[in-house]
Amino acid sequence: MGRARWIGASLVAVALTAGACGSSDDSGTVKGGGQTATTTAPSFAAGSTMATLQAKGKITVGVKFDQPGFGQRNPTTNDIEGFDVEMAKLIGAAIFGGKAADVGSKVSFVESVSANREPYLQNGTVDMVIATYTINDTRKQIVDFAGPYFIAHQDIMVKASDTTIKSVTDLNGKKVCSVTGSTSATNVKAKAPQVDLTLFDTYSKCAEALGDGRVVAVTTDAPILGGLVSTSNGAYKLVKAPFTDEPYGIGVKKGDTAFRTFVNDTLEKAYANGDWASAFARTLGKIGLDTPTPPPVDRYTTTPTTAAATTTTTK
Amino acid sequence: MHVVLDNLPAFLRATRVTAQLTVISFLLAMLIGTLVAGFRVSPVLPLRWLGTVYVELVRNTPLLVLISLFVFGFTKIGIRYSYYASAIIVLSTYTGTFVAETVRAGINTVAPGQAEAARSLGLTFSQLLFAVVLPQAFRSVVAPLGSVFIALIKNSALASTIAVMDLSFLGTQLTNSTGRPVAVFMGSAFFYLLLALPSGWAIGWFERRVAVKR
Amino acid sequence: MTPAPLVVVEKVNKHFGDLHVLRDIDLTVDRGEVVVVIGPSGSGKSTLCRCINRLERVTSGRITIDGVALPEEGKALARLRADVGMVFQSFNLFAHKTILQNVTLGPIKVRKLAKDEARERGLKLLERVGIADKADRYPAELSGGQQQRAAIARALAMGPKLMLFDEPTSALDPEMIKEVLDVMVELAAEGTTMVVVTHEMGFARSAARRVAFMDGGRIVEMASPEQFFDQPQTDRAKDFLSKILAH
Repeated sequence: MGRARWIGASLVAVALTAGACGSSDDSGTVKGGGQTATTTAPSFAAGSTMATLQAKGKITVGVKFDQPGFGQRNPTTNDIEGFDVEMAKLIGAAIFGGKAADVGSKVSFVESVSANREPYLQNGTVDMVIATYTINDTRKQIVDFAGPYFIAHQDIMVKASDTTIKSVTDLNGKKVCSVTGSTSATNVKAKAPQVDLTLFDTYSKCAEALGDGRVVAVTTDAPILGGLVSTSNGAYKLVKAPFTDEPYGIGVKKGDTAFRTFVNDTLEKAYANGDWASAFARTLGKIGLDTPTPPPVDRYTTTPTTAAATTTTTK
Repeated sequence: MHVVLDNLPAFLRATRVTAQLTVISFLLAMLIGTLVAGFRVSPVLPLRWLGTVYVELVRNTPLLVLISLFVFGFTKIGIRYSYYASAIIVLSTYTGTFVAETVRAGINTVAPGQAEAARSLGLTFSQLLFAVVLPQAFRSVVAPLGSVFIALIKNSALASTIAVMDLSFLGTQLTNSTGRPVAVFMGSAFFYLLLALPSGWAIGWFERRVAVKR
Repeated sequence: MTPAPLVVVEKVNKHFGDLHVLRDIDLTVDRGEVVVVIGPSGSGKSTLCRCINRLERVTSGRITIDGVALPEEGKALARLRADVGMVFQSFNLFAHKTILQNVTLGPIKVRKLAKDEARERGLKLLERVGIADKADRYPAELSGGQQQRAAIARALAMGPKLMLFDEPTSALDPEMIKEVLDVMVELAAEGTTMVVVTHEMGFARSAARRVAFMDGGRIVEMASPEQFFDQPQTDRAKDFLSKILAH
């Protein structure tokens, strides 16, 4: 998920601090290990990726620059902001020591668009990718994933007065808007085969079409819809009937299991000490999303690629 | 190239949409453009004025702006057409200005004596325009009108921004679902070329055929 | 009772910007009369001819044809022009139409004649001017003399009350002048009302009832051809004739 959304650059700029920011449900539940953040640099096994990065004093992370709530350039400060960026800083702090807010230029960002995420990891342009990067089996053959650190759900936005649409199946036979080429369109078609899709190049056009009554619903990832709802002055609402799970993972170089384990450990610590929840509240929370329970990380065992196996045997 | 071959039926469907969009819009644009060119050389001042305002206003506004304005702006004042019809309306209105200017240039190449002879026979302005001046004007602007047509093939891509499933729409869709932008866009380019190249040949053939013997 | 003249030009002045090309022109043309207008170039004779069917608009004065004053550009003027045939120096045949189509366009579009009938009459006219065999050719395929004869047929096809000729032979090679003049002489003999601007003194002498001599935007002399050519009254006419007849 998370492709065609170059879109609503306007959305996040208007980030209203909606009352929904949750300090409520869960943040304290997983308290564990009792480790407190130290200000001294941690030590790592010689030759590990962590040790190399620490010695270099710098980690390069591929993030999106145009993704509201996850990774987007702030037009005023020129900084890259969002939940993915916060995750990168957490990992940076775990390598270099200190607090995530203080890593500064030790964590540098490179723009990753959907098409260059794998090449960037393979050729070492970046050390990891945190760019609304959905974990799936195809991608696992080329890169490895830590996480997931977030589960994106596709939801539905309707007019505030609408009471007929309560779940994705209610969209059968209805005119529904999404963006050309997005997985959102594919997903809704799978769940509601009779849906009549109207596809624009941006979600803001979908919002217009909803207002004009040309469509009765707009569907895509909840964070994007949240942004549209928050700028609609109460005209639209989120149905809050999520019907997909898109696990966002942190891409690392294929086969670097030690680094992947380290990132997973770091995520679990952040879940436990509340850093993850506060990062969420600072970013996605500002566009109206409730802070969810963090997803459990998936420490899958990597299978060697067939290609690699053949090469070693033939030589 | 597998991406293109695997999706060949979709590409052919989208090519047909682009071709339809282009041909219908062009026929309408020719109608509008010829009429407006007539306005612009007419002896009636308000018509000349109307023609000028239309051409200058529409020609100097980006097509993308016109499309969005028509689909999202005009809807709010009650002018509402399907997205496909909207695309045709905007494309033909926009292309009509270029046709008008081209035809007007063609009219200027027709010797003034031709119109004088027609007036002397008692033809009214519209009769002399349609029977004498325009047929000769068109013959001298077949090539530039062909360029307008080919530009329209490519301009029609903007219809993809308002939910019309043409070649560009398919390109965006496949790029995102396959992650192979280069192959997909080369495929789109190929099908655009498939429309534009024969058009160019047809225009050349037509130009030689109708050339006025002098 | 003499019938009213077909064309009356009264006190007509015409300016092109600062240029005063017609000065207080008075002229009447009777029905069946042939008036030849001669004079040096720049004397205003072509402009006078073009003013009579209002291809040029007069600055002041009045022109009536068959008792009707020339109206402003529009339907009424178009109707009036349909009754006035015009032959141009440069033929002005419609380049994209065949000779026959040139001749039938006016009758079909203006007189609303059926295509077959227009065709039949057109062919007769082409036969009369001697180019029936060129009916399906395009203007560019004809010689100048043939083109001008076609142009005359085109004008005649409307059944005009009046024929205007604006230097009809000036653009022709010498060997083609005669074929055009022959047609014009024949028309004159049939009693067609004609105003002819020309340099052909032979034609003026043989076909004109009256000759108007123009110079500097004025009609300087108006006389029968015999009187004008044999006993010109003004010095300017004498001077002009001496130059013309010298070679």
